Amino acid sequence: MTALVRAEWTKLFTTRVWIGLLLGACLMAGGFAALFTGLAGAEPDGGQPGLPAVGTPQYEEVVFSVAANASVLFLILGIIGMTQEYRHRTATPTFLTTPRRGRVVAGKLLAYGAAAVPFALLVLAVVVGVVLVYAGARGAAPSLDADNLRTLGAAGLVLVVFAVIGVGIGALLRNQVGAIVGALVYLYVAEPIISSIGAIQGAYKWLPGGAVQAITSDFQAPDLLEPWQGGLLLLGYGLLAALLGTFLAVRRDVG
Amino acid sequence: MTSATAGHPRPVRVEVSGLSKTFGTVKAVSDLGFTVEPGSVTGFLGPNGAGKTTTLRMVLGLIAPDAGRATFDGVPYAALREPVRTVGAVLETAFHPARSGRDHLRVYCRAAGLPVTRADEVLDRVGLTAAGRRRAGGYSLGMRQRLALATALLGDPPVLVLDEPANGLDPEGILWLRGFLRHLAHDEGRTILVSSHLLSEVEQTADRVVIVGAGRLVRQGSIAELREGATGGSVLARSPDADRLAAVLVEAGIAATRSEDGLVTSTGTTPADVGARAFAAGIELHELRAEATGLEDLYFRLTAGQEQFAAGTTAPGATAPGATAATAEGALR
Repeated sequence: MTALVRAEWTKLFTTRVWIGLLLGACLMAGGFAALFTGLAGAEPDGGQPGLPAVGTPQYEEVVFSVAANASVLFLILGIIGMTQEYRHRTATPTFLTTPRRGRVVAGKLLAYGAAAVPFALLVLAVVVGVVLVYAGARGAAPSLDADNLRTLGAAGLVLVVFAVIGVGIGALLRNQVGAIVGALVYLYVAEPIISSIGAIQGAYKWLPGGAVQAITSDFQAPDLLEPWQGGLLLLGYGLLAALLGTFLAVRRDVG
Repeated sequence: MTSATAGHPRPVRVEVSGLSKTFGTVKAVSDLGFTVEPGSVTGFLGPNGAGKTTTLRMVLGLIAPDAGRATFDGVPYAALREPVRTVGAVLETAFHPARSGRDHLRVYCRAAGLPVTRADEVLDRVGLTAAGRRRAGGYSLGMRQRLALATALLGDPPVLVLDEPANGLDPEGILWLRGFLRHLAHDEGRTILVSSHLLSEVEQTADRVVIVGAGRLVRQGSIAELREGATGGSVLARSPDADRLAAVLVEAGIAATRSEDGLVTSTGTTPADVGARAFAAGIELHELRAEATGLEDLYFRLTAGQEQFAAGTTAPGATAPGATAATAEGALR
């Protein structure tokens, strides 16, 4: 299995996809952190509640959890990692080298889960850097106390699990463009609709998006699970995608 | 063709029996069985769409057969302890376009537990060292075939399975490939199963041929055996006295027909025999020759009308797995 994980790392680091996605994730998370800090405490028109002011624990929880927004790019990383085998037809040599295909998918899940850890740490570092500098300039740099570290850790966990879910989705769907478009539509269209329609709103907390919110922040959210429940649920989704993906990869013909 | 002069230290016999696969309503392969003897080069022949690629992919465990099995010294591919060190396969000449050929090879060194230095060794063997560090996306078709061959050779396997390796190669590339396969087989004693839709492509390299049509076995045997069966090739004789020549031949029990321009076509005989009979009868001959390649002719007759998925038909799965792949992955490209 070590050999397979190392082979996957070689695949990952011998093309430039990871650089682009990691840079994108850093920009996205850093950008959101800056945006939230800039708007913190602002009084918008129309009496809508604004973002909590710099210096409050609510602000700190929100701003340190924005790293989880980059999860979509980690998801895409995982999807590309798996679907590139079918897109570029390298599935043939890959499965010839390792005819027990379940091991190929397992190796990919482990490799991407492990590679996502340093990637996630870098994204978190960018967020912390932006927040410390910008919020400091606005008067109150948050301290990295236990609460804030927990929020950061939760955001990091979300990133890593999404990379694993991506590999599972890729094995499930095999079609790269379809899997990415499908994932984006789900995350940015389907879930928001479900969470905003009263009659089915209750289901939202059981969806991956609801789990992410439960883990990272309960800001502006309807009823959600406890953070640890959300964590378990998200890991469950990762595992489900991985198992289904493995099951199908083993059965389907490679033509 | 002489067979292996130097046996590979680990000879492996490939046995295929009762292999069948249906895609939708199209029977791509039906009850196909053949054997590839250790140390021989076996040409796997058949028209496009005869089920060759499907068969090879079933032999290598990539496509699950509906029935039958294929084994390497009794073990199915998926159960081989060291597949890369047992069988090398060239099925695909597609690579990740952004990854260099050398990195591609290193990936599979890692996955197979081989030292990564093997990547450079096989690059050198196929003459691709200079391009090894360039992105595979910029490779010519010939270079892709070489890289695919290099991938197959990583584990120094006793068996090589190649699917239409000459497809799309220029004449120079085909010449190189022929020489390389001959070397791998006859100097290194590897067992080679190589598919082609052209007899001429494998005729000079192969010891044996397995001919398939419409997913069924049409004939298997050595090239020599096939040649014997091919003596039915015809003899053409031209004479100003063609009527009498035809009569003399028919009288001798030879199937001969008189066609235009004083031409007599006879079968089941040789030019020497026709010449001798003409001389004995005092018939003047202006031309006497055997109809070109009896073997090619035989192959053509054996497989004629067997292209069940030939172009123009709308059968689903036009070239069996290729087409299923196209439909399954059409949206993905």
